[in-house]
Amino acid sequence: MKIKGFLQDVGGAGRVTKKREELFSQADKTDKANDPISAVAKELHPDPMMLTITEITVVSPTAKKYRLIAKDGVLPPFQAGQYVSLEMKIGDTLTTRPYSICSAPFEARNGKDSFIEITVRKGRECNFVANYFYNEAKVGSEFRASLPFGHFYYEELRDAKNIVALAGGSGITPFYSMAKEIEHGTLDVNLTILYGSVSTKDIILNKELSAIKSEKVRFINVISGEDDYQGEKGFITADLIKKYSQGDTSYFVCGPLAMYNFVASELKKLKIPQRRIRMEIFGAPSDISKAKGYPQGLEDKVFSLTVIRGIHQDVIPALAKENLADAIERAGIKIPTNCRSGACGFCRCKLEKGEVFVPQVGNGRRKADEEANYIHACSTYPLSDCTVKIPIL
Amino acid sequence: MDFYKDHYDAVVIGGALSGMACALTLAKKGKSVLILERHNLPGGIATSFVRGGVEMEATLHEMMSIGPEDQPLKIRTFFNDFGIKINWLRVPEAYRISVPKENIDITLHAGLEKMAKEIDAKYPGTYSEVLRLMKLCDTVYNSVNVLSVHPMSKPMMLLKHNEFVKTCGYSAKEVMDTFNLPQEVKDILSAYWIYVGNPLSSLPFTIYAVLMADYFGGGSYVCSEFSHEMSVKMAEKCLEMGVQIEYLQTVEKILVKNGKVIGVRTKRGDVINTEYVSCSAYPNTCYSRMIEPKSEVPEAAYRSVNARKISVTCFSVVLLLDKSPEELNIHDYSVFSSETDMNLDKMWESMKTQGPYDYLTTICLNYANPDCTPKGMTSLSITTLPLPEGFLNVKADDYFSMKRRIAKGMIDTISKQLGVNLLDHVLEVEIESPMTISHYAGAYQGGIYGYQHNMDDHIVARLQMSEEENYIHGLAFSGAHAISGNGMSPVITNGRKAAKTLLEMMSEDGK
Repeated sequence: MKIKGFLQDVGGAGRVTKKREELFSQADKTDKANDPISAVAKELHPDPMMLTITEITVVSPTAKKYRLIAKDGVLPPFQAGQYVSLEMKIGDTLTTRPYSICSAPFEARNGKDSFIEITVRKGRECNFVANYFYNEAKVGSEFRASLPFGHFYYEELRDAKNIVALAGGSGITPFYSMAKEIEHGTLDVNLTILYGSVSTKDIILNKELSAIKSEKVRFINVISGEDDYQGEKGFITADLIKKYSQGDTSYFVCGPLAMYNFVASELKKLKIPQRRIRMEIFGAPSDISKAKGYPQGLEDKVFSLTVIRGIHQDVIPALAKENLADAIERAGIKIPTNCRSGACGFCRCKLEKGEVFVPQVGNGRRKADEEANYIHACSTYPLSDCTVKIPIL
Repeated sequence: MDFYKDHYDAVVIGGALSGMACALTLAKKGKSVLILERHNLPGGIATSFVRGGVEMEATLHEMMSIGPEDQPLKIRTFFNDFGIKINWLRVPEAYRISVPKENIDITLHAGLEKMAKEIDAKYPGTYSEVLRLMKLCDTVYNSVNVLSVHPMSKPMMLLKHNEFVKTCGYSAKEVMDTFNLPQEVKDILSAYWIYVGNPLSSLPFTIYAVLMADYFGGGSYVCSEFSHEMSVKMAEKCLEMGVQIEYLQTVEKILVKNGKVIGVRTKRGDVINTEYVSCSAYPNTCYSRMIEPKSEVPEAAYRSVNARKISVTCFSVVLLLDKSPEELNIHDYSVFSSETDMNLDKMWESMKTQGPYDYLTTICLNYANPDCTPKGMTSLSITTLPLPEGFLNVKADDYFSMKRRIAKGMIDTISKQLGVNLLDHVLEVEIESPMTISHYAGAYQGGIYGYQHNMDDHIVARLQMSEEENYIHGLAFSGAHAISGNGMSPVITNGRKAAKTLLEMMSEDGK
């Protein structure tokens, strides 16, 4: 290029415009859009789909395993430990609950034999959703479902190859998924499961887990309430955890809240670094009035909740002891939810008016959201009459 | 049950930065505006996420066109004008660039003279040429700012914006080569190429000039509460000005009759009446899937999208680490590093693959925002901006292993540079791929930068042809794919321009 020529050149604008016009006029005049990246994104994160129960297996005196297949559409790939969110209509309430997928990822991507499985344990009386599912779901029942979600999976860029799973109650389910995936040869980790139960009859998936044939999977029941139990007795203590740990280990914890607190303090005793501990989310607290910081004497109150969707408004009652998502659903209004633990943020909505309580463990909000009064409805409890604006579903 | 009004003056498809900027501009003129956003958050990819109780930035490296408080550039002014108060934190340096193969390792700070001095200290005798280049950039930048608001005749342009006119027919490389500078210095001054997603041999000098003058003139900034702060505060201002925002609403169809917009239909099935639509979906997606009936798409519209090349997408590894930056031997906010020499054309070819990527951007947010993590932790992201081409054949079943393989390669590269194995310190890791962008933002082929800024699709040509590209009356585009192109600040400008286009159409139509 001649430098002098360039400095004198004033026709650049015309030239580049002519060039572009030419390219436009010569280009193909038909629809050539091609977006395989969006197609894969859609396959990984499909729209909610209908699932049908095809098989129910009793996996403990109080728990059943349900096999679900896609009624139409294709189950997405997922990672062992992730969950599915199932929609349920119970009376006038349209709600969702997250269930860890207990089948293995490879089973969801197996042509026309593809399925996922979840295990549901009969709940206490207050747990009406689990009880509804346990009692009412039959072979042939259909549920609208969204999946996969959650971050409770082995991440090779973060976790140690040795995993010690610390499970309690139905918290065993994600580890069954991992165990089967290991057995299948598609997950390369060593998994030792320490599964705490009060009595042997409480053990969920005992037969299934004991049948896993892989040198990389160890399954140890820890029984706290049977003196004559032949095996590990008591709770999942630091000593027990140490006994079953070898080398650099990541600890995956899934179970009820009480177990989290216990196990967390035991892991502290062992000076396990933070990056080696993964905790699964654990749902809404059963009694919010016992949460740290909850104001006294409010728990029996009933407030008025104004729910705005678009330009439409509904006024509904909201019990102080229930989270706003529950209140909204009980009034027959749909609200987007997935994790039901305050973490995923799918139920993010604007609190336009009113005072609320957000328990610290359920506060997964972004800072700017918190300041602008956005809440995650599934972990927010009314302390006064409130107004929220939620998405139109 | 009615969730929507009978009619809106305008519907904005996409509540990202450009859509919200468009809505704000329309609302200021008294128009009734509805924003329909497919995600449950505002801001598009200007967002953050929370893992393990710690919030992490998803995408923003450095915001341009902000400038210091007492010398605001146009985007800070835009926010000021609307009374949107964002806590801007200045990024300490412009960048450090490290190219061991060429013995390059230098940190540059904002300020044209300052950076020229910094280069001169390592490459003596280059001060005046570097400063001359930067001043040329600055002059062209000022012209672009004037001309994008006040178009003028050719003779006037020649008179008042001589440098702009004379350089606009040339690539950044062609213009840079007229300066008497050693190759290393040219390479140092090429570091930002990745932020426009084109090698300097095909990048219009006009764009290069804007980039250099803006970043080195005004410095760069981030929000104290991540880019989500900007997104939420814009959304709040929209609401305050009467804009209706509905989340989780995907617009499937733009309804057109006799060449004119008559409404939109959402995936949920709501039909919303309006004659004016600002669309953040890429024109490729819009013309292919959204216009109803399809017969309303003119051939010229297909030609326009077929003639243009999609720019880069994103591959980013976002890490939360369990030691402080100092303990991890990380001492800079922003590092561009290259494993090979700075042969941009060769790098560009590697961007059409799934790597390994030699040119990486590493951002340690703690250095701009010390409170972004709890004490003793580090927020670090490693990013490259590949082209979609390398990802067109990925199968869903291979997705997880593909993204981990690429991410591991990037982490290993940076670990080697730091002399610290970052994999020993990972508290949280999230990998953002082209599919992630596609999933959250719906962007065509996961593109984050719209169309390539190259000599065949020159910004000047885009401006000259902009009116004839309004193929459907009542439809304007805003987003990275619109005229000013990519980056969080330019897309805000794009949104304002879309509003201006719609307002002009409204006044034409007597509305």
